[in-house]
Amino acid sequence: MTITPDSVIYGQWGPLVLNATIVFTWLVMAILTVGSWLVTRHLSDGPELSRWQNLLEVLVTGIRDQIAQVSHQQPGPYLPFVGTLFLFIALSNLLNVVPGYLAPTGSLSTTTALAICVFVAVPLFGITSQGAGPFLKHYIKPTPLMLPFNVVGELSRTVALAVRLYGNIMSGTVIVAILLSLTPYFFPVVMQLLGLLTGMIQAYIFAILAMVYIASATSAHERGNGQEQPPTPNDSP
Amino acid sequence: MAIDWITVSAQVVNFLNLVWLLKRFLYQPIIRAMDNRENGIRKRMAAAADREEAATGTRQAYEHKQAELEQERNALLEESRREARHTQKRMLDLAREETTRVRHQWMQEIQEEKHAFIDSLQQQSLEAVETITRRAFADLADEQLEHGIARLFLRKLGEMESGLPAPSHSADEPVIIYSSFPLDEELQGELAQAVREKIGNDEVPVHFQQSPELICGIELAQGGQVISWNLADYLDETTAAIKQAFRPLETDGTGG
Repeated sequence: MTITPDSVIYGQWGPLVLNATIVFTWLVMAILTVGSWLVTRHLSDGPELSRWQNLLEVLVTGIRDQIAQVSHQQPGPYLPFVGTLFLFIALSNLLNVVPGYLAPTGSLSTTTALAICVFVAVPLFGITSQGAGPFLKHYIKPTPLMLPFNVVGELSRTVALAVRLYGNIMSGTVIVAILLSLTPYFFPVVMQLLGLLTGMIQAYIFAILAMVYIASATSAHERGNGQEQPPTPNDSP
Repeated sequence: MAIDWITVSAQVVNFLNLVWLLKRFLYQPIIRAMDNRENGIRKRMAAAADREEAATGTRQAYEHKQAELEQERNALLEESRREARHTQKRMLDLAREETTRVRHQWMQEIQEEKHAFIDSLQQQSLEAVETITRRAFADLADEQLEHGIARLFLRKLGEMESGLPAPSHSADEPVIIYSSFPLDEELQGELAQAVREKIGNDEVPVHFQQSPELICGIELAQGGQVISWNLADYLDETTAAIKQAFRPLETDGTGG
């Protein structure tokens, strides 16, 4: 039984390993990029537009709306990062129904990589938004005594992001594998469908949490002035 | 549950690549298209608003113009009505005047015709009466009647209180006695005697002449003086009386 696609290795050149995680990540990237390119090369800005353009516009508008709703800010700067998180994870999970496909999100390496990206992006967006000083001051509030706890909190939520996504997707795969050996025909299909739902939810949660972290970093200044605090959903789904 | 850090690094790079690729091929074009569309819609809305404003302005101008035209039309109508009423009244007055004039003329013509008719009738009646009477008298008249008349004349002459009112210079002029029939000598002598007595001049010559116009009777003439008793005079008096009798009828006729 394959726990993680990292262990499926297609080739190795010294320390460089071409495993299933990377291959399927490229596949997902290719689908997203080529699909987008195919649709957006003949974009119409008139009242009549193709179905695919309509679909992409609905997706992009939906993501922008979600970002605006969560951050109470203009979604423009965050859209590529948060939107790509959502689209990549969602498509990776949705393709799970294709036989022979191994979701890259079922690999802890992928989820760690995404979590590291979020971990780096949060202070980057915060510093871009507020400047380094005010952003870093956020770690010693309300007292400098809280600095270790704030740092630990930052780290732990990154780890939680990575493990949550990995656990959910991997568990789906594992459960299906186990069920296949027990009740081979009907039940695994139901679990696969459930896996699709879980995959979509996880994509949404990952993207929204990333946005919440970014929003909390970029709006720290406003929060310090006693203004409206952005919503902080429960970290555990 | 192992983390392959090389894979992790590769995935970070992959993810950042994907962010760039999607930004390049998905977000930017889509957002640009949506913005363009929004701008287009906004422009079209603005153009539509402009057009609507222009249309509203035009409509208001037309409504204003229409109201003015309506007002002008009403004024013209009112003026036309007033003029028509005036013309009607004037024409009615003219017609009434013309009618009155024609009626007056007609009445006048009728009146004239009536007068002419009455005159003609009167004339004809008189002529008829006179002709008949004259014929009757002429038929009845004879010497005997004439003699009777002459004697009556003689008697009347005698009954006259004063003499003939002859002026002194005419006392010597001859007296002419006209009669329609010849008088016998005796009667002539009596008449001459009576005349001379009345005049008071025994030498005055008395001549006798026959005058058929008298119809029947005697007429005594000296100078410009005339004393007569004859049927022609009677007839003339009768004619005058009849004319007098017709006069009220004429007066009534003009009134009608």
